[in-house]
Amino acid sequence: MKRHALAGWLLLAPSLLLLGGLVLFPIGYNFWLSLFDKHAFMPVQRFVGLQNYVYFARDPEFWSSVRYGLIYAGVTLVLQLLLGVAAALLLNEGFRGRNLLRGVVLFPYMLPTIVAVTLWKWLLNDSYGLVNYVLVAWHAVATPVPWLGKDYIMASLVMASVWQFFPFVVVTYLARLQTIPPELYEAAKVDGAGAWRRFRHVTLPQTRNVLFVIVLLRSIFMFTKFDTVWLMAGEGGVSRYVRTLPVYAYARSFTYLQAGMGAALAVLMFLLLLVGTAVYFYVLRDDEAVA
Amino acid sequence: MSRRLALYAGGLALFLLGAFPLIWMLSTALKPSGEIFATPPTLVPKVVTLENFQRLFSETNFLTYFMNSVVVSLATVGLTLSVSALGAYGLTRFSFAGRERVAGLILMTYMFAPIMIIIPFYILVKQLGIVNTRLALVLSYTTFCLPFCLWLLRSFFQSIPLELEEAALVDGATLRRAVWHVVLPLALPGIIAAGIFTFILAWNDFLFALVLITSDELKTLPVGVNDMFNATIVDWGLIMAAGVMITVPTIAFFAAVQRYLIQGWGAGGVKG
Repeated sequence: MKRHALAGWLLLAPSLLLLGGLVLFPIGYNFWLSLFDKHAFMPVQRFVGLQNYVYFARDPEFWSSVRYGLIYAGVTLVLQLLLGVAAALLLNEGFRGRNLLRGVVLFPYMLPTIVAVTLWKWLLNDSYGLVNYVLVAWHAVATPVPWLGKDYIMASLVMASVWQFFPFVVVTYLARLQTIPPELYEAAKVDGAGAWRRFRHVTLPQTRNVLFVIVLLRSIFMFTKFDTVWLMAGEGGVSRYVRTLPVYAYARSFTYLQAGMGAALAVLMFLLLLVGTAVYFYVLRDDEAVA
Repeated sequence: MSRRLALYAGGLALFLLGAFPLIWMLSTALKPSGEIFATPPTLVPKVVTLENFQRLFSETNFLTYFMNSVVVSLATVGLTLSVSALGAYGLTRFSFAGRERVAGLILMTYMFAPIMIIIPFYILVKQLGIVNTRLALVLSYTTFCLPFCLWLLRSFFQSIPLELEEAALVDGATLRRAVWHVVLPLALPGIIAAGIFTFILAWNDFLFALVLITSDELKTLPVGVNDMFNATIVDWGLIMAAGVMITVPTIAFFAAVQRYLIQGWGAGGVKG
């Protein structure tokens, strides 16, 4: 039987056309757009070269959005990693109800962001929220904490985000844990290794690769996260205390209607990610597990 | 013994972490407005009422948003699934120069952040004159659903041995019959799983719907509910009822295909 290469390409053609037209072309157009002073819906545009980029280099709001983005991505990454790995280790043990629990743990990740965020806003409500009720009733705090006020909004956002996204770490890590040969653990046990040393010397080396990928993906996803951040803080008021780069790019494009500037911010975000990823690979280049 | 105890304690903590906020949402949705603000708060409502759900359907445009979400999500599933099934079959069953590079390129298109795509996408859609249409929304969902489906189905097709197909061909079946009677039944679980995940991805989207849809009668659930939230006085009972209604399809579908999830995940599939 002969399978023609041409048939393969033909079958792929619709996919490639759609991806080319709907993803690659817009991304390319975005770079072009960033060189213009362009209104988001009026047909006026003026070529300005790199002027948008020059503007942002001296724009304090840009730098603060980078800083907020790094804080948000960094803190949520560490917390979801700790929580997710711990949960995966637990779910890798045998106990009754484990399969049900494996499903339940994924709920937060499958929820629409709008639901996850409104739910947390309700739990964290100043006057009627369950969290403040419990904290006051248990005398952990004297007066209700203004969770959604300017001092705590970042902490609340981090909390809601970690809750929403840690299941990704659980599933990915668990999938790898299940493929570790049990003999390795038995051998370690025979050698008298306790639980911590078995984790340190068997589990961790075995799961290095997957941790490498999880850290990479989660950093990218959290640094570019829009909906959770935007929905949590809205557009006015406290939003400037959590205005990350994607939210700033959105605001420039669709609130101030400066599409060229928004496009430039998207390009800057892309470049930052590119540099970050390159550094990540470079720093871990000698790690034979990664290669 | 203490080890078992620790396991169950950890399991319980994890269960509460995953499910408690949802239980609280359901509990709030079922309370009359007076009890929602009661101190101390009640976990199991003293009075169970469907009043919030009733108001949701009679006083808001919830039903319109719901139908819009269903239509747009199903259209996205139809488009991406048919295109990606062909593509994934082409990627796994035919060898041609550059095949692996194409697969890599597809994965790369999946890594672009939605915020990078939406700005140029909006401008282009505006120029085509299809802004504020369901078509624009479906096309925008294709940008992340199609690479996802291609990648997922590729791994499913890869796990179906080529020999089965070849055996059917040797026995005199045409390629079309071999695909129809041998490959498709085996790939069906994967195709269903990909369809459901696509549905969930489209169903949950907020950003594209926020930017591309401006008229109220075309809005999908996430944006419609967010508008309700922005009313001057937040009606928590109503919002939690809406939350329950949006979540039910997601959780139901998800429960149906949960076991395929790990497979898809392992294949490098999920973004967000």
